[in-house]
Amino acid sequence: MKISKKIRPLLAVVATLALGMNALVASASTPKVQAGGTITVDLNETLAGFNVNNVNSNEFVLQEIMQLVWPTVYFVNNKLALTLNTDLVTKVAVSSKPVETLTYTINPKAVWSDGTPITADDFIYNWQSQSGNPAFTDKGGAAFQPAGTTGYSSIVSVKGSNPAGGASCDAGSAADFNAGLCPNGKTVTVKFGAKTPFADWQGLFGMIVPAHQGRLVGWNTGFNINGGGDESTLLSGSWYYVSSYNQSANTVVLKKNPSYWAKPGNLDSIVFAGSTDDTSGIPGIQSGTFNVFEPVSTSLAMIQQAQAAGSSVSYNVQPGLQFEHFDFNQANAYLKMLKVRQAIAYGTDRSELIALTVGQAAPTTKPLNNHIYMNTQPQYKSNGNAYNHQNIAKAKALLKSTKKFKLEKDGYFHPTYGPEKGKDLSLNISSTTGNPIRSQTEQVFQFQMKKVGIKINIVNYAAGDLFGTVIPGGRYDIAEFAWVGSPFATGNNSIYCSYTNKADCGSNWVHFKNKTEDKLLAEGAAAANPADEAKFYNEADAILWKDMVTLPLYQKPIMTAWSSAYGNILPNASSVGSTWNAQTWGLK
Amino acid sequence: MTTYILRRLAIGVGVLLLASVLVFTLVAESGNPLGPLLANPLTPQSTIRLKILALHLNDPLWQRYWIWFSHVIRGDFGVSNNGLGVGHQLQIHMFVTLRMVILSTVLSIFLAISVGLISALRNGTVVDRGVSVVNFVFLSVPVFVVGLVLKTFVAVPIDQHFNRVVLATAGEQNPLATGNFFQRLPDYASHTILPTLTLVLATYASWAIYQRSTLLDVMNSDYVRLARAKGISPRRVLLRHILRNALIPVTTVIALDFAGILGGAVITETVYGWNGLGRFFLDGVNNLDVNVTLAYLMLTAVIVILFNLMADIAYGFLDPRIRYGKR
Repeated sequence: MKISKKIRPLLAVVATLALGMNALVASASTPKVQAGGTITVDLNETLAGFNVNNVNSNEFVLQEIMQLVWPTVYFVNNKLALTLNTDLVTKVAVSSKPVETLTYTINPKAVWSDGTPITADDFIYNWQSQSGNPAFTDKGGAAFQPAGTTGYSSIVSVKGSNPAGGASCDAGSAADFNAGLCPNGKTVTVKFGAKTPFADWQGLFGMIVPAHQGRLVGWNTGFNINGGGDESTLLSGSWYYVSSYNQSANTVVLKKNPSYWAKPGNLDSIVFAGSTDDTSGIPGIQSGTFNVFEPVSTSLAMIQQAQAAGSSVSYNVQPGLQFEHFDFNQANAYLKMLKVRQAIAYGTDRSELIALTVGQAAPTTKPLNNHIYMNTQPQYKSNGNAYNHQNIAKAKALLKSTKKFKLEKDGYFHPTYGPEKGKDLSLNISSTTGNPIRSQTEQVFQFQMKKVGIKINIVNYAAGDLFGTVIPGGRYDIAEFAWVGSPFATGNNSIYCSYTNKADCGSNWVHFKNKTEDKLLAEGAAAANPADEAKFYNEADAILWKDMVTLPLYQKPIMTAWSSAYGNILPNASSVGSTWNAQTWGLK
Repeated sequence: MTTYILRRLAIGVGVLLLASVLVFTLVAESGNPLGPLLANPLTPQSTIRLKILALHLNDPLWQRYWIWFSHVIRGDFGVSNNGLGVGHQLQIHMFVTLRMVILSTVLSIFLAISVGLISALRNGTVVDRGVSVVNFVFLSVPVFVVGLVLKTFVAVPIDQHFNRVVLATAGEQNPLATGNFFQRLPDYASHTILPTLTLVLATYASWAIYQRSTLLDVMNSDYVRLARAKGISPRRVLLRHILRNALIPVTTVIALDFAGILGGAVITETVYGWNGLGRFFLDGVNNLDVNVTLAYLMLTAVIVILFNLMADIAYGFLDPRIRYGKR
């Protein structure tokens, strides 16, 4: 499935993609730029609301906007390294005994744009609203609808202490669910459960919703766009605030937050405005209609357009976080055999697939050899080297060795059992309709499998059907779609843990189960440090290759283009997008 | 005439109801609107359950239709999949589209009549043939191609020459523009010229060809020959006899084509990044949003029915030989 940009894991806001805490800020030079000015970033999705942590508004472009408005504890730079936002939190202490405990020290100067200090209450509220715990409710008693609960559901308590100026702790209130938690504290203590430590804790508390506003207007719908001036009351705790939103034009204007207590943003205003399709991008930059453009998908034609535009347009193509792969449904009578899956993997020439599809736009794209980490991540370990080159002979030998398939004169294997007994071994491959790259991939795969002796039928569905009923319902043989490479390795657990655990492994659609895998995934999620986390997850990945659970193909390339008149624009392959450092952008 | 209008309106309501049942069934059965959420391993199950309840996805189809219908007859188009009021969104997007469509229609009419007239008056000459070729080119070229060509080969060179945005290639207005309507008029014009021109070029050609054909018919008719024979000036013959009669069929064709212009506007809006009905509809289709899709389709169905009726009524008024009602 192509998980569209609209749906991004919430915690991907602060994507952890590198080992090491407190890595250095943007490891690229920051050339001098002029102070002031305006920049326009294309906005190619219709906004539904401003609460990016709510399921209805969890859109990529909104994330790009709100990360400049609502504060985040850790952010990711263009080198995919984590940086503590010391404007918000001056230090974070971590201890693992007796339970994993984080202690955040909030910057004493940090305030919301209405003058209310940023305190523990904001952390308490953001935990409660995203914990998935039905004990906490939104305005009017409604259940919270967060876009994700990973990490927050592992926390058992968030408590404040050390109010500013030596004041005493507020009592809090039962109605606000913060009674006895010292909500006005400038120190925040977060405790995880004894059995639920969480290794990717740096991804928590991204784009923090102001508690006092959230409780007043409601988490679920209070930040929805009604076009009635809501945006003018939207509080800011970061460099910019939402000055205006035009619903009919779908444009957002950010202006410098006058209440910001630290180094302010460089540009006076950042405008997010209108392109609805990728063809508008490069001409839009050339004509000056907008200055930064991130297409939904990257094509060779677009890159050629950018090249032809000359020096007025700068662009960058790099591997993104989405990766294409093949799912093998082990409920299928033939795919449940490991040797059949291995035969398919050996028969697939991933380099050829890439060369005939995305490789034309991004020639440096290479096969992905890890299910959990991407090529560009330092934790990446190439666990799938055995499948780097097509090996038709080995594929055929594997099928023959099962003694369940006979190679017939027509060049196809005939099973000796099951629904295809005596007929050509046929498997369906399914993907989303209307995607030329996937169509091309399926056709090339079909041709490659013909050489192996397996007949492939292409059966595609609309995305809503494919992910709504076909794949979750197990009505497929092989499926081709993309996962968003989780910035937190823990985000993969529900995909690869045993499918028999329906509560925690709801995204395991391949009917895979393995106790050792479950143990490694659990150990990875509870790892005390990033090095251990990477070790456990790479071991888990090795099992996924050994069992040929799914076959990763490649990381999808992403493109960013911008007007050469602006400096400090550093494309970011993580889901935070190119505005991760927009506060430093400026005219050259 | 009144009876005829009332009868047509009644039939129109019936057609609307039937269309709503058909469209509702098609959209509701097209797939699961929660597909993308379900495919995201991080979406909590509690959130999915709440969305299923909110969208009535577990209810039988007839019940879902009844919920929708019982709200629509009270003017409530419901909420979209992401919780926004559909009626309010429809209104906002409609005004954006109507701005382009009305301007395009008026300009297309003038252009079609002018071009058709020139072509008919210069029938058989190089001018006529040249104009016909141009007409057929614009009739054949898809509207999005026209848009892309205008953006790339007209707007970009002009903007680069003047080093500022003279012809905007995306969006309906500059979000930073301030002032009253007249102060913002240059900005509106800058953003409206290209999309309007695109839609005009995509629309006028068929009308121009039809206008030329009807003009030639009328010019060769007996009463026009008689008028000339009576010594009436060519200008008066053209305006009072030829053009007036030749406009009748074209008027009805334009009224009937209005729904097609809306369809063209959907594509034009996509090319130019306008947040109009086109985007509203496409978002609804992509998200399998029943309420949004139905709201758009009901609106266009009403427009088609009304304009068809207007075409019939206009024909009756313009041509005294046509009478409706009991004979």
